Amino acid sequence: MDFAWSDQQRELLDAVDRFASEQLRYDMIENDRNAVFNHDAWKKCGGFGIQGLPVSEEYGGLAQDPITTVAALERLGYGCKDNGLNFSINAHMWTAIIPLVYNGSEAQKKKYLPGLCDGSLIGGNAMSEPNSGSDAFSLATTAVRKGAKYILNGSKIFVTNGPIADVLLVFASTDKAKGAAGISAFLVEKGSPGLDLSHKIEKMGVRTSPMGEVFFEDCEVPEENRLGKEGAGSWMFTRSMTWERGCILAASVGTMQRLLETCIRYANERKQNGQSIGKFQQVATKIVDMKMRVESSRHMLYHCAWAAGRRKAVYLEAAMAKLQISESWVRCCEDAIQIHGGYGYMTEYEIERELRDAIGSKLYSGTSEVQRNIIASMLGL
Amino acid sequence: MAETLVLIELDRQRVKRPSLHAITLAQQLGGDYALLILGSGVAEAANSIISYGAAAVLVADDPALAEPLADRYASVIAQATRQQGAKRLLASSSTFSKDVLPRAAALLDAPMVTDVLALAKVDGAIAYQRPMNAGSKLATVKVDGELCVLTARATAFAMPSANGAPCLIATFAFDAASLPNEMQFVSRELRASDRPDLAEARVVVSGGRPLKDSETFERLVGGLADALGGAVGATRAAVDAGMAPNDYQVGQTGKVVAPELYIALGISGAIQHLAGIKDSRIIVAINKDADAPIFQMATYGLVGDLHQIVPQLIAAIQKT
Amino acid sequence: MKILVPFKSVPDPYAGAGAAAKSVINPFDEIAIEEALRIRERGEATEIVGVTIGAPAVDEQIRSALAMGVDRAIRIDDSRALDPYAISRILRTLVEREAPQVVLMGKQAVDDDSNQVGQMLAGLLGWPQATFVSKIEFLDNKTRAQCSRETDGGIEVIAISLPAIITTDLRLNEPRYVSLPGLMKARKKPIEVINCEQLGVNVHPLTTTLSVASPPRRTAGTRLESVEELVTRLKQEAKVL
Repeated sequence: MDFAWSDQQRELLDAVDRFASEQLRYDMIENDRNAVFNHDAWKKCGGFGIQGLPVSEEYGGLAQDPITTVAALERLGYGCKDNGLNFSINAHMWTAIIPLVYNGSEAQKKKYLPGLCDGSLIGGNAMSEPNSGSDAFSLATTAVRKGAKYILNGSKIFVTNGPIADVLLVFASTDKAKGAAGISAFLVEKGSPGLDLSHKIEKMGVRTSPMGEVFFEDCEVPEENRLGKEGAGSWMFTRSMTWERGCILAASVGTMQRLLETCIRYANERKQNGQSIGKFQQVATKIVDMKMRVESSRHMLYHCAWAAGRRKAVYLEAAMAKLQISESWVRCCEDAIQIHGGYGYMTEYEIERELRDAIGSKLYSGTSEVQRNIIASMLGL
Repeated sequence: MAETLVLIELDRQRVKRPSLHAITLAQQLGGDYALLILGSGVAEAANSIISYGAAAVLVADDPALAEPLADRYASVIAQATRQQGAKRLLASSSTFSKDVLPRAAALLDAPMVTDVLALAKVDGAIAYQRPMNAGSKLATVKVDGELCVLTARATAFAMPSANGAPCLIATFAFDAASLPNEMQFVSRELRASDRPDLAEARVVVSGGRPLKDSETFERLVGGLADALGGAVGATRAAVDAGMAPNDYQVGQTGKVVAPELYIALGISGAIQHLAGIKDSRIIVAINKDADAPIFQMATYGLVGDLHQIVPQLIAAIQKT
Repeated sequence: MKILVPFKSVPDPYAGAGAAAKSVINPFDEIAIEEALRIRERGEATEIVGVTIGAPAVDEQIRSALAMGVDRAIRIDDSRALDPYAISRILRTLVEREAPQVVLMGKQAVDDDSNQVGQMLAGLLGWPQATFVSKIEFLDNKTRAQCSRETDGGIEVIAISLPAIITTDLRLNEPRYVSLPGLMKARKKPIEVINCEQLGVNVHPLTTTLSVASPPRRTAGTRLESVEELVTRLKQEAKVL
């Protein structure tokens, strides 16, 4: 067991640290209020190499192993206060890029990966439907083969990056009778006839990450855009979901670390009754608990990524990491607000936004309840 | 023969007054000194500097020197230094002297000290004080060797008195045909301005980024400068935003100024800017941010909106 | 065309007070590196060689230069406190060895602020120089360069024959951000380490910094409430009106 980074990892992580803190510092209050996605920051991240971290070099990536990748995203979350951007990037990487890396044909990888890596293309994943959320495989969206094309009909909801996506990974049923085994995956490009991405959804947090409904009305998708075999969709989804669960909150660990440091600074500076509030046990305890949550989240994240990098099945580890990080993140934000008192509740102090941004993490990529179900089943319950 | 040779800078055949401040450094160093001017048709300029206590005014006057091209100038300056047997070659700091003197130093096989602020004695020997790190540090430097080259911050040395006995004007003869010929002057942007030169003005009014655009900049900064008969300066941010030309930039990498009165409008006070103004006698800061660092060094501070305060100030000054 | 970019490692001038002194490439030299890259990208240069003088610790800045896109780098292994003239003499031997058409470097290092090396190097080599440059264009089949210079009196344009020394001013360009792919490519690029003895140059600094102190600080003066008060103070107290 070796907890040390190699020199090369250290150099890369330091570079991400610098990049995030120097290049991704912008006013978030207005962007959050107006739900503005920062395209410029997205392109900067692509140019810098963030989106391509886990992709091999021949497709424009950096061929980094999962642990280096999640650690880099953690640094991104630490330096960049735009949790929406971080979320969009993570969704793009884990739910669009990774399925393409594992299941794409050579032609599909050559066509999409370089752009998805360098920031010129935005990807997303369309799975959830109005009547199927956690019960993922009961899909109403259908894909019917017609010559060299598929015709898609139906709708998807809660599609992260939907309104801004250039290419979406869409799951649809090609054979309803087969249930989960009849689900196939398609790469659907923006501008495809019959595709409507225009329905943006307002939400509580990560407001700078656009989310939308997607409608398919006799939407034509060429056969060469089917990802993997017909009927391979649910297996593909389960596999990519494991990555998604394990890694999508990498940036949140960095966000928590930043919050922790903010609280320590505040607790040392703020004086009440002649001493810094950090000297009050009730405040100190909250900060200690934050520290414990950050560290345990980080270790579970790293362990999950480490295991994934060794091609181990990480079904259990991913569910545990997801559950731990999301619940810790929300608690950290609540504690941070409590430590800051009335100021923490004020928009100007930029902590209430963190809480709003954090809460969704207990819902997307499988709710906390779903994660607990997975863990329970893995424990033989 | 003179112990120190002081290079005097010309601007369109007229002596630039800040370049005369280097004479004061020559006087402090002791020994006799000669003044050197280079150019084409510079007899009148030479005549204007005969009363500064120099042993002689040395004039290199030739059409080949019409423009201050570094290769030719450095060559002539090095030749003159050798001919005089000078132990020191100096000039006031400017883009002109910083361009030609290091090159002359290399031709003379001599070390150089940039931006001397004061002399010091260390173990009985002369040492030089100079700013480093954008003026946030003050170094004391000693120099070994037979000959050294110095530039002096004009703002750190007083204007020398011009009541010495008139000295001799000597022509410095050199072979113009043998000068390097691989640099050609193409053009120079000429800006007609009735305002005094930034480096020489008694009053400087500078503006920062909050001035928004060149029109507002000219109306408020230019307007106040004109009311006071002063020069106009700008921060790097204002220059980069296109509100003012590059050569208006005041600060470590722009011009260092030390006027009687410096008025900073909408300038927060980046260290590079403060380094360029800190020797001003009176600094007035007007800024709407009460926490701006410039208030930490301003003689008088006024917190408020420029767009209201400056027109009032112009009106009040015009009334007096 | 080959471009040699000498650069210096300096303490980060933008590091906040109290922050650990991290080293970076001198910002003016970074502008020189960027310009060299742009010249290569528009097809006017074929090779960019970076050179710096220092102990192994400066390898970090060398890697930054390589990560920006410099093709190869040379570190002259010398950890003495050299002065600009000594540095110029060392660089001269390297220029003679590498025979570049252009030496591009910052107008000054932001720690020492001397603003001498480029000009001294030009003098030692007998090459033309363009200092404080904010624009470079190559002319006549790259045998000459037209350079805009930022002078006290405004922009001056000169044309110089190559080979030449060009020193960069702030507004020449905005250096690119080192990307992760650049960083990874840099790992495969060669860094040659050579010392003065191998270069056949024997230099000793002639200027010595005896001490470094903080300059006296101005203290904050008076906060005033109104324009009337300011005018009165300027007249009666400061006597500048």
